[in-house]
Amino acid sequence: MDPECSQLLPALCSVLADPRQPVADDTCLEKLLDWFKTITEAGSSLLLLQENPCLLGLLCHVLKPQDLSPRVLAFSLRLAGMLAAQEDCFQYLQGDSSLFVASAAGQLLVHILGLSLQGAAEGHPGLQTGDWPVCAQKIVSHIEESLRSAATPQITQALNVLTTTFGHCHNPWTQVLWVRLSPLVACLLEKDPVPAAHSLVDLLLSVARSSVLSSSSCGLWETLAQTLSHLSPTQAGPLALGILKLQECPQALRAQAFAVLLQPLTCVLEATAQAPGLLDSLDGTGGASVTVDTLLPSKAACVGLLCRTLAHLELLQPLPQRPSPWPQAPLLGATVTILRLCSGLATPTSDAGGHLCAFLVGCVRVQRAALDFLGTLSQGTGPRELVTRVFAVLLEYLTSPDSSPTVLKKAFQATFRWLQSSPETPGCSDLDPHAQLFLRELLPVLPKRLCSPCWEVRDSGLEFLTQMIGHWGGQAGFRRALLASEVPELTEQLLRDPESYVRASAVAAMGQLSSQGLRVTPASPEHPGGRQKSLLAELLRILSTDSEGFPRRAVMHVFTQWLRDGHADVAGDTERFVARVLQVASQDLDWEVRAQGLELALVFLEQTLGRPSSHCPYAVTPPVAAPPSPLAQALRPLCRVQLFEFAFRALFDCDRPVAQKSCDLLLFLRAQTASYSGPQGSGSVPEVASVEAALQRWQAGDQGQPLGYLEPEVVVAVLRSMDLEGLRGVLAESSDRVEKSPQSLLQDMLATVGALGEDEADCY
Amino acid sequence: MPEIRVTPLGAGQDVGRSCILVSIGGKNVMLDCGMHMGFNDDRRFPDFSYITRNGRLTDFLDCVIISHFHLDHCGALPYFSEMVGYDGPIYMTHPTQAICPILLEDYRKIAVDKKGEANFFTSQMIKDCMKKVVAVHLHQTVQVDDELEIKAYYAGHVLGAAMFQIKVGSESVVYTGDYNMTPDRHLGAAWIDKCRPNLLITESTYATTIRDSKRCRERDFLKKVHEAVERGGKVLIPVFALGRAQELCILLETFWERMNLKAPIYFSTGLTEKANHYYKLFITWTNQKIRKTFVQRNMFEFKHIKAFDRAFADNPGPMVVFATPGMLHAGQSLQIFRKWAGNEKNMVIMPGYCVQGTVGHKILSGQRKLEMEGRQVLEVKMQVEYMSFSAHADAKGIMQLVGQAEPESVLLVHGEAKKMEFLKQKIEQEFRVSCYMPANGETVTLPTSPSIPVGISLGLLKREMAQGLLPDAKKPRLLHGTLIMKDSNFRLVSSEQALKELGLAEHQLRFTCRVHLHDPRKEQETAVRVYSHLKSVLKEHCVQHLPDGSVTVESILIQAAAHSEDPGTKVLLVSWTYQDEELGSHLTSLLKKGLPQAAS
Repeated sequence: MDPECSQLLPALCSVLADPRQPVADDTCLEKLLDWFKTITEAGSSLLLLQENPCLLGLLCHVLKPQDLSPRVLAFSLRLAGMLAAQEDCFQYLQGDSSLFVASAAGQLLVHILGLSLQGAAEGHPGLQTGDWPVCAQKIVSHIEESLRSAATPQITQALNVLTTTFGHCHNPWTQVLWVRLSPLVACLLEKDPVPAAHSLVDLLLSVARSSVLSSSSCGLWETLAQTLSHLSPTQAGPLALGILKLQECPQALRAQAFAVLLQPLTCVLEATAQAPGLLDSLDGTGGASVTVDTLLPSKAACVGLLCRTLAHLELLQPLPQRPSPWPQAPLLGATVTILRLCSGLATPTSDAGGHLCAFLVGCVRVQRAALDFLGTLSQGTGPRELVTRVFAVLLEYLTSPDSSPTVLKKAFQATFRWLQSSPETPGCSDLDPHAQLFLRELLPVLPKRLCSPCWEVRDSGLEFLTQMIGHWGGQAGFRRALLASEVPELTEQLLRDPESYVRASAVAAMGQLSSQGLRVTPASPEHPGGRQKSLLAELLRILSTDSEGFPRRAVMHVFTQWLRDGHADVAGDTERFVARVLQVASQDLDWEVRAQGLELALVFLEQTLGRPSSHCPYAVTPPVAAPPSPLAQALRPLCRVQLFEFAFRALFDCDRPVAQKSCDLLLFLRAQTASYSGPQGSGSVPEVASVEAALQRWQAGDQGQPLGYLEPEVVVAVLRSMDLEGLRGVLAESSDRVEKSPQSLLQDMLATVGALGEDEADCY
Repeated sequence: MPEIRVTPLGAGQDVGRSCILVSIGGKNVMLDCGMHMGFNDDRRFPDFSYITRNGRLTDFLDCVIISHFHLDHCGALPYFSEMVGYDGPIYMTHPTQAICPILLEDYRKIAVDKKGEANFFTSQMIKDCMKKVVAVHLHQTVQVDDELEIKAYYAGHVLGAAMFQIKVGSESVVYTGDYNMTPDRHLGAAWIDKCRPNLLITESTYATTIRDSKRCRERDFLKKVHEAVERGGKVLIPVFALGRAQELCILLETFWERMNLKAPIYFSTGLTEKANHYYKLFITWTNQKIRKTFVQRNMFEFKHIKAFDRAFADNPGPMVVFATPGMLHAGQSLQIFRKWAGNEKNMVIMPGYCVQGTVGHKILSGQRKLEMEGRQVLEVKMQVEYMSFSAHADAKGIMQLVGQAEPESVLLVHGEAKKMEFLKQKIEQEFRVSCYMPANGETVTLPTSPSIPVGISLGLLKREMAQGLLPDAKKPRLLHGTLIMKDSNFRLVSSEQALKELGLAEHQLRFTCRVHLHDPRKEQETAVRVYSHLKSVLKEHCVQHLPDGSVTVESILIQAAAHSEDPGTKVLLVSWTYQDEELGSHLTSLLKKGLPQAAS
């Protein structure tokens, strides 16, 4: 602890011990604990106490009965616990009405158990619980008592303590503990309903994952199998998933677990009278199938179980240890069927199917879960006929006026994933005819979505479009279909959407369209009289006039990309373009726009100084690579676009990320110029001095006079005279450095004493 | 027994961040998802792991409801939906949905400024989160699913703030969020109908305070600003983008107009236009006066307040500047503060709460030498003032709302324990309802009596109607019938129909009782005495003396017999049917009093 803090501490302790002095901010005590924690972790707690007797004084003082605020009491207890953790163990307090306290008490028990057995049982793995230290025995019998209890909260507590124990401790004694307690745990399964099922599942999985418990000897697999069959389908799902995620596990148990997960989907297929062949492969057990009536008896049960099942399977699908063979086709079939039931497209042929239909029709929750899973299933292949059904159902969702905005977003995402996974036609790197056919049907749907009254839908439509162009913009089939649709025109109209998020997405989409040459009638700045206004001009308008930050940020991203790619609108007169963009960006009120301006400046700088841009491996046109030239000549374009004025101003920006970025840019530039061996220090001295003076004024917060055109020599001289490294050091210090310092915390807490009025706990 | 369970993860005996879990009728709802501005690590967010341990949040929660756009109520939302993975519906009002992203972006900027992008939500996440929002109108009943419905009520406080009623079947909870029971310059007062919820969860920030009249505070504020400007000083008012800032702008604008003041007023970072846009868009959410005069003059189009440019800070002469952020912890407000702090003619007015560590907090607690970056020390000579303009209901307002909604019980959140304790007693005394104040992580469980719908058979109703009494909602009547529970349906039918439907035979149940009478006469004579006594007492009933010597009153049978041991005592055997149970008991007690002495 530094001496300043040591001096402040006694005064603070006496404030805390005084019940008449309220503590202002509820975060202060937390932060104080954080600080003590770093001190105790770094050294000895005992030393801390010896050097600061005021702490011990505080702890002794709070033990006296008095009207102390619970906050200070809690703080003192936690502090005491923290200090004592190194030397001794603690009494446990469980069953508190607060979740937080109960959970902390549980964790404390685990630590004490671990601590007490550290020496004793480690050397003798055969030591039975009867020979354990008294403290550990006490804890074990407490857990046993709780497990025998009729009250579910008590059982839950005991199970949670055990889960944490087996999760954290991997010593041989945990096996002894499990052998002793597992009969009691198994007893829980005999109760109907099984109490604290969720915690029981957590415990069993925690045991199964433990490296110490070689499960064959402990009867663990039997318990797991038993639990799978005892729990309700909803409760068994997480257990089944957990079992399938285990690295090592008997095949029979895995099969059982997978069957549990698949059961609801089997039920759906059965109720909708799907081909029996599919059923056999889905229901791995081949046993008696469960009917809709028992597994999915009510709407709430049906919706809940299907959502969970789909989510579990979604998590399982990408894992290497997923069951093999993976029933891709039946899963696809079931998911498509569920989606069709939800949208009311499936015509049920049986009573059970009718029930399902009534439960699921219009159910957004199931639709979302099924679309997510469908998207994940695109990672595998499926029979042609099924893939056709997948595209058909996706198209139905994208077309249907009943699809909610969140469902549509997921439908777009799933569609993109399926298109991505569809095989490319060999040789021509184009979409396969199948997907092409789908695209031809999809593109007429998109305009409807782009005209939706919901901004969420318009935005998701544009995001989807941008992804599509990014992926297939170069492919003939896609280009033809897109150009034949109204999509490009509508996208352009959305640049003036009332919702700023949509304008931003439209900017991104238009940027892509234009980059790929997919704008309907491309017009260039040379033909301003053309029917269409130049996109560059339109984007510049947005950059300088849009009242919201998102569209302006999007424009800067597009411009930066255009500059990297050598986009035609930019390549014509790059200097003029960069100068205009930097001029507008420097005035922007949004820090991200200014930061992006520096990004654009960096790209221009790299291109001008002849260093190939490292950011753009896909550049269509190579960057304007200038041959090495004398320094002054190389810097002249940068001076003409007033890049330095922009960067110097940004260096003293009130938003730190902008200043940091500018500092990095100038350092990079100085490094670049250092390698040139041009004439140095040739800038006229008075000019350099005046620039330096201006910069000093800027640093002091004065934003007055612009610098005007600077000669390259002046720039180089200024760059070399500036302490950029020093500035970078200051900027690298996070702006809350002072805020976070313990000294500031102690000062603040002391300063607040007595300064509090009646309404001290204010808020917004 | 059905119950309502409430567990605050935040706002339980504190004002840090609101996040309250409610279980009602088997549905789980999260009320607000706030962030604590005082922490810079994960503690700023509620600890969601307590909700489900390892389970999926989407499966556990049926919906999330956000009361208003302040970060201590919505700041953790993108983290919750995009990083923790909640994928279900989120409900808020239209203005809240529109304004939330602005404040979240503002906060993101500060977070990035401090620590870089690491482990914090991105702009894309904020947008994706907002796309999951279902925006609701005031007083519109929104069906979350078949059973759960919610409804928003006007809360004042800030633009778009709402109270929410959450209803499952006949059980309901009302959550107030933050609210204000008195109208201010741009918003109206909170209002709710007499919805009689099982539970009212109310904020209690000013639980013990009757706030001094608003006018006083406003006059004070104007006086201070005026004095500073008159002596040629510059006034800095650090604010958050939207909310109180607009209230103060209207206040200053009106004052400047009235006093014909010339000193410029500036509002930083383009927020005036933005705010203007939102207030225009949601004009129906403002108060009556603003709505009325809107056509002639938009109150948010200020004549005296202009957009601020960084260069203006150095201009000579007096000025007033509203700058963000509100706690002087970064950005423009801090930059201006550093520039002006050294001059005692200048003044900074903090219109709201500042968390520990911020420059705002330091100067409010009286610190005058501040360490800045690079070990520089900034000496604060300017005048520092604090004026709370946060719009919460005071103790009177809270009592008023409880009176308005007439809840069965009340639960206090968003306040300090000590003050809650006081208000709790007051509420319990005045309204005779239970009042709870759980700490964070503590669960309050309220048993509820469910109303179970029962179908009634037409026959039974017709029979009841045949008695000539028309149903009257104000006069409940007793109606006898048999309740049949079948296929989880309840039906009330006549006993005959029940027997028929269930295929059961009827059994007669008779009650019997022995009454000992001191009477040496013969049994027959005793019977006659009983007969004449009852005949005279029970004039409205049919009393008969049967030939076999027994006496009947309606279905009640009385027989006299000799006592086996005591010849001076007679035993009366009284028996009656279940239907005449009342009369039977009455008669027995009559006989137990003995017979009057014979007139003879």
